[in-house]
Amino acid sequence: MDATILMLLLQDGVVNGAIYALIALSLVLVFTVTRVILIPQGEFVAFGALTLAAFEAGTVPGTVPLLLALGAAACAADLVEARHALDARRILRIALRDLVLPGAVAALAYALGPGKPTLALGIALTLAIVTPMGAYLHSIAFRPLEKASVLVLLVAAVGVHLALTGLGLVFFGAEGSRTPPLSDAMLPAGPLSVSGQSLWMIGLTLAIIVALWAFFGLTLLGKALMATAVNRLGARLMGIGPGMAGRLSFSVAAFIGALSGVLVAPLTTIYYDTGFLIGLKGFVAAIIGGLASYPAAAAAAVLVGIIESVAAFEASAFKEVIVFMAIIPVLLWRSARADPVEDEE
Amino acid sequence: MRQSLLAALGLLLVAALPFVPGVPPFWFTLLNYAGLSAIVVVGLVVLTGIAGIMSFGQAMFVGIGAYATALLSLHLGLSPWLSLPVSLAASGLAALVIGAITLRLSGHYLPLGTIAWNISFFYVLGNTDALGRYDGLSGLPPIVLFGFPLVESRHLFALIWVCVALSILVTQRLLRSRTGRAIRALKGGVIAAEAFGVDTGRTRIVAFVYAAMLAGLSGWLYAHMQRAINPTPFGLNASIEVLLMTVLGGAGSVWGGVFGATLVTLLKDQLQNVLPLLLGAQGNFEAIVFGILFVLILQRAPDGLWPLLTRRATPLPPHHPAPAAPLAPRPAEPPGRVLLDAAGLRKTFGGLVAVNDIDFSVKAGEVVALIGPNGAGKSTTFNLVTGVARLTAGRVRLFDRDVSGEPARAIARLGIARTFQHVKLVGGMSVIENVALGAHLRGRAGPVRGALGLDGAEEAAIFAEARRQLARVGLAELADRPASSLALGQQRIVEIARALCLSPALLLLDEPAAGLRFREKQALGDLLRQLRRDGLGILLVEHDMDFVMGLADRLVVMNFGAKLCEGPPVAVRTNPAVVEAYLGSAA
Amino acid sequence: MKRLVWALSLTGALVAFGAAAQPIKIGVTISKTGPAASLGIPQSNSVPLMPAQVGGQPVEWIVLDDASDTTKGVANIRKLASDDKVDAVVGSSITPVSLAMIEVAAEAKVPMITIAASSKLIAPMDDKRRWVFKTAQNDSLMAEAIVGHMVRAGVKSVGFIGFNDAYGDGWLAEMTPRLDAKGIKLVATERYARTDTSVTGQALKVMAAKPDAVLVAGSGTPAALPQKTLKERGYAGKYYQTHGVANADFLRVGGKDVEGTILPAGPLLVAEQLPESNPVRKVALDYTKAYEAKYGPGTLATFGGHAFDASVLLASALPVALKTAKPGTPEFRTALRDAIEGLKEVVYTHGVATMSPSDHIGQDERSRVMVTIENGRWKLLSPTN
Repeated sequence: MDATILMLLLQDGVVNGAIYALIALSLVLVFTVTRVILIPQGEFVAFGALTLAAFEAGTVPGTVPLLLALGAAACAADLVEARHALDARRILRIALRDLVLPGAVAALAYALGPGKPTLALGIALTLAIVTPMGAYLHSIAFRPLEKASVLVLLVAAVGVHLALTGLGLVFFGAEGSRTPPLSDAMLPAGPLSVSGQSLWMIGLTLAIIVALWAFFGLTLLGKALMATAVNRLGARLMGIGPGMAGRLSFSVAAFIGALSGVLVAPLTTIYYDTGFLIGLKGFVAAIIGGLASYPAAAAAAVLVGIIESVAAFEASAFKEVIVFMAIIPVLLWRSARADPVEDEE
Repeated sequence: MRQSLLAALGLLLVAALPFVPGVPPFWFTLLNYAGLSAIVVVGLVVLTGIAGIMSFGQAMFVGIGAYATALLSLHLGLSPWLSLPVSLAASGLAALVIGAITLRLSGHYLPLGTIAWNISFFYVLGNTDALGRYDGLSGLPPIVLFGFPLVESRHLFALIWVCVALSILVTQRLLRSRTGRAIRALKGGVIAAEAFGVDTGRTRIVAFVYAAMLAGLSGWLYAHMQRAINPTPFGLNASIEVLLMTVLGGAGSVWGGVFGATLVTLLKDQLQNVLPLLLGAQGNFEAIVFGILFVLILQRAPDGLWPLLTRRATPLPPHHPAPAAPLAPRPAEPPGRVLLDAAGLRKTFGGLVAVNDIDFSVKAGEVVALIGPNGAGKSTTFNLVTGVARLTAGRVRLFDRDVSGEPARAIARLGIARTFQHVKLVGGMSVIENVALGAHLRGRAGPVRGALGLDGAEEAAIFAEARRQLARVGLAELADRPASSLALGQQRIVEIARALCLSPALLLLDEPAAGLRFREKQALGDLLRQLRRDGLGILLVEHDMDFVMGLADRLVVMNFGAKLCEGPPVAVRTNPAVVEAYLGSAA
Repeated sequence: MKRLVWALSLTGALVAFGAAAQPIKIGVTISKTGPAASLGIPQSNSVPLMPAQVGGQPVEWIVLDDASDTTKGVANIRKLASDDKVDAVVGSSITPVSLAMIEVAAEAKVPMITIAASSKLIAPMDDKRRWVFKTAQNDSLMAEAIVGHMVRAGVKSVGFIGFNDAYGDGWLAEMTPRLDAKGIKLVATERYARTDTSVTGQALKVMAAKPDAVLVAGSGTPAALPQKTLKERGYAGKYYQTHGVANADFLRVGGKDVEGTILPAGPLLVAEQLPESNPVRKVALDYTKAYEAKYGPGTLATFGGHAFDASVLLASALPVALKTAKPGTPEFRTALRDAIEGLKEVVYTHGVATMSPSDHIGQDERSRVMVTIENGRWKLLSPTN
């Protein structure tokens, strides 16, 4: 391996790491607020990429009717949840959020979809379709389980992942898709050439890290959101119910997922089941970051990306073995550092 | 009772099935797969539901068992029966090695660690020539029983479900045994278990190895049922599926696990049959409907379906070994012998000095009380003496032996027992089982003896001892209640019975009278006086001054981590510094 | 418990219902979901195009999904054999699942026509494989074609990038000795997973070895990624693909980066370019028309043809078997097996098959053509090119 190849591998690792980082950030966000390890995060990525690809092909993707169905189910779930304190305003709010919003998005999609919308419009539609799904999934699947153990929440997340992957196959078929890049530019940088797309990718990842860090570290709302995981009463006093905290964090996760999908789809082919493995790598990064720190998770994600890239060069058949065995020592190190001696409640 | 009734009914149904004419043969195939999963799930119940160790790697151990027997029977022509022990040993050994590395992981690091192993295992299988790479190994011989090859599903059915029944039986035995109590105690907190001499690290490995061996058994059966194996059934997805089964059925009990495995297997098959009829279209809807159904069931039954069906919270029904003589008590120490001698104890957390150069001692036949306002460092001192917290400086001598820096379980071995300020009982265990955990160091039986039921005499003696101690503290009639159902004050008393079960020379009680009513306090005082007469040394932290003054021989008063004074109650009561710092404000 | 009872009684009802009719029953187990879904979906789509009647006898096709999973595949064939009492089984889509199914097919003495790739499924012939037939071209037949083309094109060294699964393994195993025999050096063997988002490492490794040509052994759209990456890195040698990519989606995703790629394929792929004299042309065009009429233009994938070809074999053999025994009996299954083994010159969408006791695929050169990609379309190459 000479220096040029090493540079190319590092570049590849960083770009891949950026995808994992975006997933890791969402996982950290959702976990700190709701204690759910969001296995379906990878599905948001795939849905984002494939929805955009469908618009590019001039069709209306299956995610549009799915959005309507999820909205309707979430409406029912929200009404049941709020049955003890239902008034006209509340019903109106739920109906607006769960029925009118997806209805409007779907109407736009059906109106614009068949006419091959421009790339920017397609991206906007895609984000508008996938983002609310986060909130609806929270209302339908996780809100009723908010008191359950982390194990049960994790397993429920696996259930949601199975259902969404199955739907992905029905909507998009088994074959993959690509989308046109946001930028065709190729910038020479010494022996490397950097594509405009990968700069978009890395830049947006950094922006999201900074935004999340600022939101949770600096704003009162962010701090209150973090607090819901440990102290529900305190958060409620701040005017944030666990329902809202959950919807908000899930929606942000879905948004980041769809955005990552849009960013990655021009770089590689995305399949209905791509989400699981990249979700897993994001999970690795999130865990190495202790499911708490955004910069640590992002750094770990880039590390995973680089190990993967170098392993693909050195021993491609054993790439996953190398990646996953490499994380065991890291886990041991993290675990030893984080080890709580006392298990006082 | 409903649990055993349902379980018995279920097993009976299964056992009767081969004798019912006209049963479609595929039912047997399906139930065979359910049985294979059930065996893995039973292990996972022990591991995840009971020991609290989340594993995403069980399919890997199934694979190790399957590949071990496949290699032996293909290359050496060994009969499957001869390769069975090798399969079990290979899975167990792999778990031992992997566990030794991975089980140190805490929290979420552990599930991820098991995922990492399982994924790596899959790719190693797929890229190893000797294991047939991705195509795997085929042409394995069937299992032959009395000269009769078990090829058809109907015939294998009996063998597989006998294995399921045996797994349940052995697991129930194991969980009831001395090792099993230690495994179940893992969920009640590592500290309490270690304080009674349980090596929790080793216990976690025992649970891990046991679950892996059950998985290996399943793998052995799988290999000779399919007669062809390849990496796919041993990948991460398969591990996730058995975890789903476990949680859906109810991870808290073995029966729940078996129920979950059967239900999921049948449900998935039925969905494939029924959905095309319902939806009127061929499609790939099974996974979607299964995922949705799964989440909905969890919402109705977050602890799994089995507890919902049986309305039972504890994993095991009450257990009554034959009456026996209690264990022989430890010979009493001569009165006045120094049991505990602490010198210059110091503990700092960062810049904060929690305990500042404390000296005191406890002799046999003496009650010493450690008092002081909240935050004075009493409980930390307790933890330093019992090896729960690490000393920053100072020295602890027990029976003239320097034990500074030794772990809690080594100190327990010397005959030191304690209770906790925050009660640490195992909620799902009955009161008597919690008390019996105190006698952990007085038994010898290991996991093998326990699982095979060869520990009867010892268990009977331990339970007799536990019953005796429970009677001594006046809670004999609550023996079979789940510990979590008791009032907090009663739970504190149960902790004392558990501590007594260790037959200690020195007893350390952390606020034993908190939450007790007047009469209960009187009874507790009487008990402690009786123990003092028996020659025990007692160190207690207590807030109730009346209780302490009437009982203690000596008081050690702490304030802001430092010792304020020491002496008999009368002297302390009149010490101006003490009055100032503590009694004054209380009076 | 209630749920369980409900589920059990439902199975009973379904089974009773199934037992009432008495047509010829053919079980089909296909990977409609899971990693091999891109093969399984067109195969399962082909089932409605299969004949509903043969020799005046109604044929019932029972389709099950094995989710690309061995356990499920074996359970399916057990169900089909023991409960549905099928007279033959078609499937599965991939080699590992099919390999495991052989055990059950031989045990239940049900003829099985696999539509997976590896020649391991039917060779070496033994007591169990007696029951197994095959329609998808052996990877050995295709490998030979590629090596032949490489020799003609003067390729001296080859880099290999294949799926890290049974498909990639099969190709590597078939290519290695054939390249060796022709003195072509295999200078790099790299593997990747279907859903990998980047194969840059593998591409760089291959390029560092400077091969004259690269063979990508993958199926469907995932096979485009290595080629696109190599193009992006500026690799200028020849590109070969396998017949696993022969569907429209590969062209859609590959775009201009896959222009000029050379691959062997079944004649179905370029049916309309075959000479009128080729008997395969008509069968293949008929199937294409029927398929695209049902699922839309441009939806054809050659994998579906393998499943359809299994039905062609059965339709030719069933009338022979019907003469000696009644459907649903062990005798019929044996007769059907013998009849398939005796088939001569059966024309189907992927060539012409002539079975024998030692050859259970029966294909020859007529089952493969060399194809290239020109202007985003498949183009038949002349045999000497």
